[in-house]
Amino acid sequence: MNVKSLQKKLGRRYGSAVSVRVAEGCIVVSGHLKRWEDIVTACSMCVDKKSGMHVVNDILLEGEKPASVRLPSLQDHALEGSRPDVLIIGGGISGVSIARELSKWKLDILLVDKEADLAVQASGRNDGEVHPGVDLNKGSLKQHYVLLGNKMYDRVCEELSVPFERCGQYVGFTDWWMYPAVWAYAWQRKHICKVTDTRMMSRKELAKREPNLNPAFKFAMFNPSAGCVCPYGLTIAYGENAVENGARISLNTGVLEMEVKEGKICSVQTNRGTIYPRIVINAAGVFAEDIARMAGDRFYSIHPRRGTNSILDKKAGPLVMGIASIKTLKKNTSHTKGGGILHTVHDNLLVGPNAVETPEKENYATHRSSIDAVFAKQKMTAEALSERDIITYFTGVRAATYEEDFIVEKGRKTRNLIHCGGIQSPGLTTAPAVALDIEKMAVEELKKEGAVEPNPAFNPVRKAPPVLNRLSNEERNRLIRENPDYGEIVCRCEEISRGEILDALKSPICVPTIDGIKKRVRPGMGRCQGGFCMPLVTKIISEFLEIPEEQVRKAGEGTEILLRDTKEIRKTGEAAEI
Amino acid sequence: MKEYDVIIIGGGPAGLAAAISADKQGAKVLLIEREARLGGILKQCIHDGFGLVRFGEKLSGPEYVERFIHEFRERKIESELLTFVTEMKKADGSFMLTAVNRQGVQEYMAKALVLATGCRERTAKQVQIHGTRPAGVMTAGTAQHFVNLQGKMPAGRCVILGSGDIGLIMARRLTLEGARVLGVYEVKPEPSGLTRNIVQCLDDYQIPLHLSHTVTRVFGEGQLTAVEVAEVDEHMRPIESTKKKVACDSLILSVGLIPENEMAEKLGIRLDGHTKGPFCDNHFMTEITGTFSCGNALHVNDLVDYVSESGELAGAAAAKYAFDAVGVGSEARIKSEGNGSETGLKVEGNGDKFGKKAGECSGGSGRKNAELEIEVNSSLQYIVPQKLCLGSGEEMAVFYFRSRESVAKGTFVFTVDGKEVFTKKYRNLKPPEMERLELNLSLFQAAPGSRIEAAVRKEAGA
Repeated sequence: MNVKSLQKKLGRRYGSAVSVRVAEGCIVVSGHLKRWEDIVTACSMCVDKKSGMHVVNDILLEGEKPASVRLPSLQDHALEGSRPDVLIIGGGISGVSIARELSKWKLDILLVDKEADLAVQASGRNDGEVHPGVDLNKGSLKQHYVLLGNKMYDRVCEELSVPFERCGQYVGFTDWWMYPAVWAYAWQRKHICKVTDTRMMSRKELAKREPNLNPAFKFAMFNPSAGCVCPYGLTIAYGENAVENGARISLNTGVLEMEVKEGKICSVQTNRGTIYPRIVINAAGVFAEDIARMAGDRFYSIHPRRGTNSILDKKAGPLVMGIASIKTLKKNTSHTKGGGILHTVHDNLLVGPNAVETPEKENYATHRSSIDAVFAKQKMTAEALSERDIITYFTGVRAATYEEDFIVEKGRKTRNLIHCGGIQSPGLTTAPAVALDIEKMAVEELKKEGAVEPNPAFNPVRKAPPVLNRLSNEERNRLIRENPDYGEIVCRCEEISRGEILDALKSPICVPTIDGIKKRVRPGMGRCQGGFCMPLVTKIISEFLEIPEEQVRKAGEGTEILLRDTKEIRKTGEAAEI
Repeated sequence: MKEYDVIIIGGGPAGLAAAISADKQGAKVLLIEREARLGGILKQCIHDGFGLVRFGEKLSGPEYVERFIHEFRERKIESELLTFVTEMKKADGSFMLTAVNRQGVQEYMAKALVLATGCRERTAKQVQIHGTRPAGVMTAGTAQHFVNLQGKMPAGRCVILGSGDIGLIMARRLTLEGARVLGVYEVKPEPSGLTRNIVQCLDDYQIPLHLSHTVTRVFGEGQLTAVEVAEVDEHMRPIESTKKKVACDSLILSVGLIPENEMAEKLGIRLDGHTKGPFCDNHFMTEITGTFSCGNALHVNDLVDYVSESGELAGAAAAKYAFDAVGVGSEARIKSEGNGSETGLKVEGNGDKFGKKAGECSGGSGRKNAELEIEVNSSLQYIVPQKLCLGSGEEMAVFYFRSRESVAKGTFVFTVDGKEVFTKKYRNLKPPEMERLELNLSLFQAAPGSRIEAAVRKEAGA
């Protein structure tokens, strides 16, 4: 690559504020700028995929202290001195799927996550689409893994007892004259990129399959292999299966520092003690760069990109039965399809997401402008879409590299490290395939120091607790007669019984919080958003754990829902006033 | 499968009144309630002020509903508690219900259904409150459940959004329990709750009420730390320059109630966009023949006395309907223990009235009559019932309506084909305060195709 001409280009735009150099196999961009968008643009300008080098961003954002990682305040020695064969950092879809695949081997596997549950960050904050990969160009890791991952979903979801539906993806076009170009694109995707299910769909067939889409659609590109899955449901299921097969998962565990000697991680410090792993897998999402830095192997940068999705009432569900979006000619500068409408496995609709660059890795605040923008666009996909049906919304943050591709490789300078970084959309789809490759790399690395035996007790099948409202009346009746708790409905919107909530509390990765239960069995996911069931779930948790209700939390630390008993006036009294 | 004349879904004040009144008509009644105890939301409404209209005394919610529960038990009406209806189907003029409870999956059959399913609260996200998702944000009803049923405090320093009655009641309740209520914010230029609640719950405790203000954002990663409040313009859009942060540990929402009609919708019952409850006639029968609606599922009431009244009317009409069903040849196989002939209510019927067609009605009387929709102009939010079943001669009907705006002096008018048939003068009509009328239907000398209109006329100078 030509550093000089690149520097010139940067100079024209940012003067002397930004400089670029190649150092230790990375394209390092440094300097200082006032606006985050400029930093992202400057770094993106320096991307050179052919070189095999990644852009490392060292530009400082003027006047702003970078937000520090939110770490658990918990301090104990639960993990002190542990010597796992494999330490996986990150309890998102990447980390847990790797843990599960590695549990096929007789290995001591420890997965840590700083949050109070799995799938708290990107894996719990996306639309759950299992992508066909039709929008990806050949040659990227994303494209390589999306083809493999998509095909694996039927088996994986069956093994893990997770609902999965191949509901199909429709991209609608409103202009006839675009037909030849789209036809050629679809042909190229099908035959060259090997997204073999791609086909053109006539207006008539589209209207038959999805009668509520924009009547102005003249034709569509269709991928029947596209599907949807509950992303946090799948993450938790993977985690549970890993635990069932012997892996350990330690939540509320943040990585603070690493000791690296001669290209090897010797120890990893956490708030729960120092760990001495043989190898480390970096699946830390938006923090992958920070972990890489600690491990002395920072050769890429993450620029967080947030997106907001709205969840619509099940009543609106029939509006779109698959995954639909509109393609207009407006130049799309953001690295996303611009969102769409997706019919979830739980029969809600998801609308979004948008894409906004942000320096904040863990700011999940939502903004009205995001919702307004997404709805303005998606009403062109389906006119009858209405903000009135919104029951809630959420923001997720994508962990993008400047190359907009994954990093799935062994450490470049640090030997006992494997990176699973830059995982953004379609990272959920690719996870099963990426996990297999990382499993191979890890086993290969471990074999250098001695034999690695298969785990004879490995069982890929997760025994999932029953979901009563999906059963036939006969089956449901039988289960209730065995366990009457299955007949006592606690969450009226989602029809969840006390028995199912207790099952979640007894599950392999028990997270006894309102949100933990909600993610596992869905009380509070419905249209009343927990208005009726939250007090009841609080009570069930307190009874199960034998703790006072005041100690029951919504999610992580410091999220207790109740303060005290009534008739017990605070001792501090007026001191609490401003 | 157990068979009944009338099944009532919901054991709150509407459902209990419906059950008692259907039983009085001699019908075989079953009441299904999803909670472990009867009483509905009144169980947690421990403040007073219930029953002024009906009993002429101030009762607490539990006291009020206890009177109905007592009568319900005296009458030995059947009930299934902790039982949740999962499916409703209409077949051959009767209804099949599937429900689950701790004994298993149950099936019931009824000739008539009364939907007394109450309402739910609107949530923070439904009023576009953005920001993070901390603990400490909940609806007033949820807070009330915690405080009054579980004896737990969810708030220390709190902001209340919305001046709906539950929000006002909770402002006082939380204050009495030692919390500090920093203020009640209301997006509209006038309060949503009853005047008496503004006086007794806010003024008496010096809790400030900020009209034309709203909460736009919440802050806090774990626990709520602050909310952003802003004044709104005449279109209720927040004014940027007025935004300010208020530190608090809880945000209690009282931003409106939505009738729960998901079950009704599954049966194909059409809802009125204004009430969010079913379209119904003066017997509170919905457009699906044999299903009746009452209480807060029909429209959101501000006084429980009227909830009970609509329950009673719907229950009686459902019983009469069920007896008519017995009189029909093919339907006669459905045995009714509460035999209509004993109560003298059995009336002739014919088979085809079960397929109710537009412009036709079949509540109570059994005769095919003209059904006319009442048109409301912009002076009214709504009127219930929305339709009249005319031609049965002398029959009393109850109407509930809400004015769209505050009117100091005005006249409520019913017209038939432009001709005034009824007027009533009002002072201080307010949107939060529902009005009730009881009229003899013989007033409406309407022919099929007639136009019935309801409106409030402002007096000149008012």
